[in-house]
Amino acid sequence: MSASSQDNALRSGIAWRVLIYSVLIVTAVIYLAPLFVMLVTSLKSLEEIRMGNMMALPLQITFEPWLKAWGSACLGLDCNGISGYFWNSLKITVPAVAIGTLLGAFNGYVLTKWRFRGHQWVFGMMLFACFIPFQIVLLPMSQVLGWLGLANTTSGLVLVHVVYGLGFTTLFFRNFYEAFPDELIRASVMDGAGFFTIFGRILLPNSGPIIVVTVIWQFTNIWNDFLFGASFASGDTAPITVALNNLVNSSTGVKEYNVHMAAAITAALPTLLVYVVAGRYFVRGLMAGSVKG
Amino acid sequence: MSFLNIENVNKHYFDVEVLKSINIEINKGDFLVLVGPSGCGKSTLLNMIAGLDEISGGDISIDGQSMAGVHPSKRDIAMVFQSYALYPNMSVAKNISFGLEMRKVPKVERDKAVQKVAKMLQMEQLLDRKPSQLSGGQRQRVAMGRALVREPRVFLFDEPLSNLDAKLRVDMRTEIKQLHQRLGATIVYVTHDQIEAMTLATKIAVMNAGIVQQFGSPEEIYDNPVNTFVAGFMGSPSMNLIQAKVCKVEDKLCFEVATADQDRPLLLPIERDQQALVSYLNRNVTLGLRPETITDPGSANRSEGQIHEADLMVKVTEPTGADMFVVTQLGGTEVVARMRSRCGALAGQSCRFAFVVSRNLAFDGDTGDRIQ
Repeated sequence: MSASSQDNALRSGIAWRVLIYSVLIVTAVIYLAPLFVMLVTSLKSLEEIRMGNMMALPLQITFEPWLKAWGSACLGLDCNGISGYFWNSLKITVPAVAIGTLLGAFNGYVLTKWRFRGHQWVFGMMLFACFIPFQIVLLPMSQVLGWLGLANTTSGLVLVHVVYGLGFTTLFFRNFYEAFPDELIRASVMDGAGFFTIFGRILLPNSGPIIVVTVIWQFTNIWNDFLFGASFASGDTAPITVALNNLVNSSTGVKEYNVHMAAAITAALPTLLVYVVAGRYFVRGLMAGSVKG
Repeated sequence: MSFLNIENVNKHYFDVEVLKSINIEINKGDFLVLVGPSGCGKSTLLNMIAGLDEISGGDISIDGQSMAGVHPSKRDIAMVFQSYALYPNMSVAKNISFGLEMRKVPKVERDKAVQKVAKMLQMEQLLDRKPSQLSGGQRQRVAMGRALVREPRVFLFDEPLSNLDAKLRVDMRTEIKQLHQRLGATIVYVTHDQIEAMTLATKIAVMNAGIVQQFGSPEEIYDNPVNTFVAGFMGSPSMNLIQAKVCKVEDKLCFEVATADQDRPLLLPIERDQQALVSYLNRNVTLGLRPETITDPGSANRSEGQIHEADLMVKVTEPTGADMFVVTQLGGTEVVARMRSRCGALAGQSCRFAFVVSRNLAFDGDTGDRIQ
């Protein structure tokens, strides 16, 4: 190849790259614009917001809206902010994620390493659970919660989320354990390890990537859930998503956009945090099993 | 009384018969190798001895005690797996002591046992590492350590060397043999590599299609194979199996073998199994010739009996350094002869071949069974 054509190739390579990067940057700006607006609005005073320019940076930064959203904003008649509901959400999400993940791991273990007749059918039906829309389970679920005496309680919501998430967690762990070498199980059987010892000492410690995937998946789903929260919990037991809705829809007085924005960001923070902390394992976990290290 | 007794064992998955009435008996300290092509049922048999697979019929007993219904961990057996099956989350020391921990052996004794095994296998410096930080050979060593530490009655090896590269495989083979000699342990070893089988075993069971084709010492299997499968499977390069006709020349029984020259067939005198072969007069049989029994006149071992010499056309020569494999045409197929490396054979030219006729074996042309 001559030098000039090499130059051409180099130049067209650079042109291509510039094009790709500009498209990416434009898309990122469009994507991040709402977050930017939320953030700057939450740091402005109401007077400044009324001046109009949504995209403008705050002239004077104030954290007043954040404090108000957390501690003293009014949801209907109750003026204690969203803090209580934030803790509600944590109390629902953390146990529901932990129990759901553990049960999913256990199901995956049994469905791959202790196969019984008809195991495919059981798995198939659990998989079916992934395709059931939320709305279909609302009525039967409220009936069951009533029978169990768990209506309008945090534990009731934990149960709902564990049951609903079981299809997904089982799917994740079954597929992960499918690729887990059987010889390891055989070796531990010969070493004298029992059913639960194998699960606790051999399988779980080697499930890091898939645990991360499941936790992220479950955490975001349960934390962001609105429908179950609105249907099965009310008043003091409501999760933050429901509280946020109540805050924004409170019709008394002026609309405090800065407070609303601060509350919305607060509500989104935990899921953001989970992604930032565990996100890089997420992709790695999704790829696990497809390529053997 | 034999130590490990496999009696009339069957295995079928639904309608598919995997193993058919297996009978094997070995004594304490024997090194039994189950050898055969993949899918012959050898690994299944090993798993049944371990208790990891259920037996459909028959019984396996160790030291006179039936193993029916005995849990794998209660059989006093240790197994080395093909993939080594080391627990990835545990250190080498933990891997080795896990079985002891499950048996509730106190920590002090466990540590002592681990040290002892690590010393025996020269891997004291590896004890704190994770399996992912070890090379293939080191993993193999840890897998053996895990079996050794329990001091079981029987060791089971499931193709333990098949994941190693060629050089390491030979080293580890020697190491396993030394270990067996030093410990006097009873070992059952599965492989598809007939050289491993020959070098390690005190007893070999050659398996094919779920049946034990032949069970005996390595010498018996090599020198007196009962059928063409065993004859062809054991030995490298494998035995030449060619078509021949039993005929009588001047009142003496001979094998008549076609050569490249149609008018001049090769006549090999029959020295063994003459009585059995009389009834095959003028019929076709399969003649088995080990490559080392066809050689150049200079290196033929005259003490093994009559040597028959003939001039044959050389098709290909394959020098290996120590020997030269010379390929010629006999009985319609290519036949490999093993000669000295500087015997002077050249492709496309005629060469003097020497046949050690006392080592020739005859098999029934239809069934493949040995005629003797």
